Amino acid sequence: MLHSKRQFLKGCGALLAGASVYGITQSPLAEHSDTSSEADIKYAMVHDENACIGCNACVEACREVNQVPEGVTRVKIERRGPFGEYPNQSYRFSRVSCQHCEAAPCVRVCPTGAAYIDKDTGIVAVHEERCVGCQYCIAACPYQVRFINPETRTADKCDFCQQTQLKQGLQPACVLACPTKALTFGNLKDADSALVHLLKSKPTYRAKVDLGTRPKLFHIQTIDGEIML
Amino acid sequence: MSAFHFEGLVWHWPIAIYLFLAGLSAGAVFFAIMLKHVKLAGEAYHSPFVQAAAIIAPLAVFGGLGILVIDLTKPLDFWKILVFYNITSVMSMGVLVLMAYQVALFAWIACIFNKGILQLLGDKWMWLQRGLRWLVAKEAAITGILVILSISLGAYTGFLLSALIGFPLLNNPVLPLLFLISGLSSGAAATLLGGVLLRGNPNGVEVRFIHGIEIPLILVEMGLLFTFFVGLILSGGQSQVAALNAIGYGFWGWVFWGGVIGIGLTLPLAFNLWMKVSADRKFTYVAVTASFSLIGVFLLRNFILYTGQMTIA
Repeated sequence: MLHSKRQFLKGCGALLAGASVYGITQSPLAEHSDTSSEADIKYAMVHDENACIGCNACVEACREVNQVPEGVTRVKIERRGPFGEYPNQSYRFSRVSCQHCEAAPCVRVCPTGAAYIDKDTGIVAVHEERCVGCQYCIAACPYQVRFINPETRTADKCDFCQQTQLKQGLQPACVLACPTKALTFGNLKDADSALVHLLKSKPTYRAKVDLGTRPKLFHIQTIDGEIML
Repeated sequence: MSAFHFEGLVWHWPIAIYLFLAGLSAGAVFFAIMLKHVKLAGEAYHSPFVQAAAIIAPLAVFGGLGILVIDLTKPLDFWKILVFYNITSVMSMGVLVLMAYQVALFAWIACIFNKGILQLLGDKWMWLQRGLRWLVAKEAAITGILVILSISLGAYTGFLLSALIGFPLLNNPVLPLLFLISGLSSGAAATLLGGVLLRGNPNGVEVRFIHGIEIPLILVEMGLLFTFFVGLILSGGQSQVAALNAIGYGFWGWVFWGGVIGIGLTLPLAFNLWMKVSADRKFTYVAVTASFSLIGVFLLRNFILYTGQMTIA
């Protein structure tokens, strides 16, 4: 009896260990960039921080088009500064919104599969009906861009206007609203797109790449003479 | 910065209570099984301590899950978590563990108290009696599965938080072990407290056995906490900032040093060592020591949850 119990426990332990290791290796973070995947669209965005004047027209356009309630937002322009001595002062602006990570932590942790990556476009989106509101995705996102929509009670965030503008063949609302053309949206797989041209002509950075998220929101850094450590 | 409201805070105290109760349930079951296996054998069902564990474990896990469901923004949709699974989600896998744990828990309780249940049934519901006898025949397997599931559940409460890559204090490989060990000690404390409240002998074999395990458990927990924070500080960058924000000053610094280290670990360790050398244990000693351990683990869950979300990567 004792002998068989020990064997049984060993078996259970091995099975459990095997299953959990399998689960971990399945995670998208462990995968490497696969540029030859079947879909021929992979949307991305560039925010030129030199062109941005922090007017928040993008925020308001997004709110209107996507009917985002007051008190929450899908996109924020973060302002830092002022830098330098008067009259040569400047601010730095950076866009904070969903980065549409290739290895999205929110998608990995979602218990119901409500957070998902649209295979045809690379957009990270939310199935409203599947979401139960556990807020695990909100906690998991290192960019802190997810929120609970107070009207639908589901997790919400930027989806590159997947349900609104893109459906009508238009560019995202923020891109069209920007008065200084600081935002460039396009298909990473289209070598002739303005997006790819921009990415190949200017140095860009992406936020928190050390976390292995492989984000698709690129930033062109401000050059204003101020050196920060 | 306010201790309970700050920018970036996603999960509030209900989650801490859930993590506390899930760990406590797993710990109580673990110690009840150890008591039966090592000390009491066939007499386990008499023991007020095993009885206390058999009451506490299901109540704690139900209570925790109840709080978790109420805390959803769409509580009535909770069934979707049971229908849809995502193999890469710690929460989803935890739900599987929780479901299996509850089944095994009730099967085990039925095995332990089978004599009482059979007496109660008399000659009614023969199908239920047949089912019960079948379970009793499988008790060894059920016990084995339940031990594995209770340890998995205890560790899961830590993995749930350590999967959050954006928070350096939580995204820490020591966290699941820390939560497992502290969960086990909270289960031991709850079993002792419940046992003496059910008029169990505070100087009995059960108390001596559990106290014997509790001393090394507290020492291991102290070692894990030390590794946890020293590891964060040595990692540098935001990990270091996160560790110092948590234990360095302010409200949560007091909670950590006074509550977790002082009330939760040092005092119970001192009391346990004192009880080990003194001739006999009294109700008050056992009850106060157990209460301090419980308070300490409850504070630890809140401390980790809140301070973990204070500093981002």
